[in-house]
Amino acid sequence: MAVELTNQTGESATDTIEMPASTPWPIVLAFGIALLFAGLVTSETVSLLGAVVSVVGAVGWFRDVLPHEAHETVRVTRQVPAIMTTRHEVARIEIAPELRRAWLPVEIYPISAGIKGGLAGSVAMAVIAMLYGLLSQKSIWYPINLLAAGFFPAVASDTTAEIAAFHLRAFLIAVPIHLITSLLVGLLYGAMLPMLPRRPILLGGFIAPVVWSGLIYSILGIVNPVLNRRIDWLWFVASQVGFGIVAGLVVSRQGRIRTRQQMPLAFRAGLEVSGMLDEHRGEDERR
Amino acid sequence: MSTESIAWSTPQVAAQRPVVERLHDWVTTVDHKRLGILYILYALVFLVIGGVEATVLRIQLIRPHNDFVSPQVFNRMFTMHGTTMIFFAVMPILFGFANYLIPLMIGARDMAFPRLNAFSFWLTAFGGLLLYFSFVGGDGLYGAGNAPDVGWFAYAPLTSKTFSVGHSTDFWTLSLLVSGFGSIGTAINIITTVLCMRCPGMTLGRMPLLAWLNLTMAGLVVLAISPLTAAQLMLLVDRYLGGHFFDTQAGGSAVMWMHFFWVFGHPEVYVLVIPAFAFASEIIPVFSRKAIFGYPVMVAATICIAFIGMSVWAHHMFTVGMSAAGNTFFVLSTMAIAVPTGIKIFNWLATIWGGQIDFKTPMLFCVAFLFQFLIAGLTGIMLGAAPFNWQLGNSYFVIAHFHYVIVGAILFTLFGAFYYWFPKMSGRMYNEALGKLHFWLFVIGFHLTFDFMHIPGILGMPRRIYTYEPGRGWDTWNLIITIGVFFQAAGLLVFIGNLLWSYRRGKVAGSDPWDAWTLEWSTTSPPPTYNFATIPAIKSRRPLWDLKHPEDPDWQYE
Repeated sequence: MAVELTNQTGESATDTIEMPASTPWPIVLAFGIALLFAGLVTSETVSLLGAVVSVVGAVGWFRDVLPHEAHETVRVTRQVPAIMTTRHEVARIEIAPELRRAWLPVEIYPISAGIKGGLAGSVAMAVIAMLYGLLSQKSIWYPINLLAAGFFPAVASDTTAEIAAFHLRAFLIAVPIHLITSLLVGLLYGAMLPMLPRRPILLGGFIAPVVWSGLIYSILGIVNPVLNRRIDWLWFVASQVGFGIVAGLVVSRQGRIRTRQQMPLAFRAGLEVSGMLDEHRGEDERR
Repeated sequence: MSTESIAWSTPQVAAQRPVVERLHDWVTTVDHKRLGILYILYALVFLVIGGVEATVLRIQLIRPHNDFVSPQVFNRMFTMHGTTMIFFAVMPILFGFANYLIPLMIGARDMAFPRLNAFSFWLTAFGGLLLYFSFVGGDGLYGAGNAPDVGWFAYAPLTSKTFSVGHSTDFWTLSLLVSGFGSIGTAINIITTVLCMRCPGMTLGRMPLLAWLNLTMAGLVVLAISPLTAAQLMLLVDRYLGGHFFDTQAGGSAVMWMHFFWVFGHPEVYVLVIPAFAFASEIIPVFSRKAIFGYPVMVAATICIAFIGMSVWAHHMFTVGMSAAGNTFFVLSTMAIAVPTGIKIFNWLATIWGGQIDFKTPMLFCVAFLFQFLIAGLTGIMLGAAPFNWQLGNSYFVIAHFHYVIVGAILFTLFGAFYYWFPKMSGRMYNEALGKLHFWLFVIGFHLTFDFMHIPGILGMPRRIYTYEPGRGWDTWNLIITIGVFFQAAGLLVFIGNLLWSYRRGKVAGSDPWDAWTLEWSTTSPPPTYNFATIPAIKSRRPLWDLKHPEDPDWQYE
């Protein structure tokens, strides 16, 4: 099938078209300006010549466009190519067969799902971390103080007994860090789980925390070597995986909502744009 | 005056006319396509010159205590290499493609200001000639200096009369001034053309991404070149009229030059890379046989990048010693730019995902771009962290990162663009086997050179070093880096040979060899002077898709 993209504006096809006429004055003016500047590092004569050439170029240019822009007439060739394709069949990705054009993701979790998942994950992570504190140092405050050491590096160089003791300041720092980070990661889970193609809990709850822990493991020795020596990496990974699985499970149990596929961007952004869509439709139909 | 219809690009017809007449046509042309080709050819010459300068640098550094060139020549070479590549190779090539493609893609017959377009090109061209005239003129009248040797960012006080006698630095300043005027002219032309010359139906939301991204780039050019021009004028005042803007001994500030330069310099990176994004955004969908993923977000991310890109300049100055607040601001703004950039990478990947990928040469270059630009972004984030930068600022790590952006991202997509639009510009297909040979030679050369360049940087090798002592652990890495340059040079030769051969002997391309969807493929290859016999009207972002698939047009869903 061949379709021609011609005469769509209603413009009548003519044999000739007016185009801007070729002119030497732009190159003359540019050359004059270049000489004008080059004279600063060669000789005043060069600048003087540049000034003269520039004036000539500018005057020639003005005469080209005033009172009317110079045009030349170009003959139109009737050689309009046919618009055709060899690929007539359109394949569709099996995600939303009911939609001919799908904006991915078709369904998302509500923001509340991410918040719930983040909070649940934070509890799971805290339980595992405190269990580690109890078993290793007989104190639930040990992991909390280590978390605060991210903000107060001096804490990491305290004695083990000091880190195992309760410190109000460290507690007030560690709890918001834990909660805010958990909420943000929970929201990330909510946004990303619909995009993970298969086994979202395995990918998001197990593999991602292990990769993340590996990254921390590889750089913490450089960023904070003292803190690095105090971390038990097995328990660290366990707490991350605990967070991932619990947050993932909570998020995935929430109901998904469909994105508003067919709505214009302005509408989805909540803007008051009454009539905008209709105006465009009207334009297209008139055409 | 009446002229025959266009046939200038076909070699057979062109050869029938006297050379002087053809030359006159080119010199006096105001046609956006011819000016685009002039920009591209001019820039290709400078690309080769800049490449030769880089090769000289690398031969000098291939082994310790080498004396392939003198230290003075070495300084001139790295200054001219940087200046040439940024101002007279990559930027003009991108302007050339913008000139050639934008009117065709938005359904216009020419740029908004055709004469300004010609004027801008010739200013850029004469600016480049002025720079290279320094090789003879810089030495001439005052018996001191030669080509500029102050580095491409020309820090004060090295540029003062005391340390830079003669005129070499002045040639640098004046050439950038002259070409800067040209750049601003081109930018104004692009902005006006995109905003005012679109065909009926082409709302901003239906405009090809290439036009959107070049519009953003042109805005950045206006904002970025102006401070550079101001700084160059101040430097001239310092050097010739007894000014003290950058004279620290008389109350001036050398750091102020840095601010002026990098207020230009960092947005300049985006001036170069945003058109590269534009090429990728046109090529990847066509060779994945899918529409671009997340068009509105791609536009928004580009504008975000431009906006944030104007506020990150001082991350080039962490080692100067700024205040804690200054360091913090520029670290955070630099990190922030990773977000829209990451969005773009994900959207290109999502475009490829599930598509029927055709690994023709343009697509190969774009796939390599995705991988390499990701690495460049990651090392950029590393250097954007002030403490890391304090360790590795001004080392070869920075050079590796920078070239990962300029070569790995920009030059790779440029090669992709050359192969993609060569059939449109010349009417001939390029040789696919030679294209792939070029790709593989260049990929191997690029990774040999710039992957391994990070390592001597981490080991403490400073940039712009003339030679080095053996036994510092740098020797082998420098050898490998230089070997990579020869692979790249071989790739470049294959590329140029391919273009020349294909222009003469290539298969006739037809109007739409890629079965693509934007308007430039609806006219003949090469297009006539007037582009379109009748101005097209469109209803969606892929007007040719709508015509090829009337049963399933895009406009019903946009």
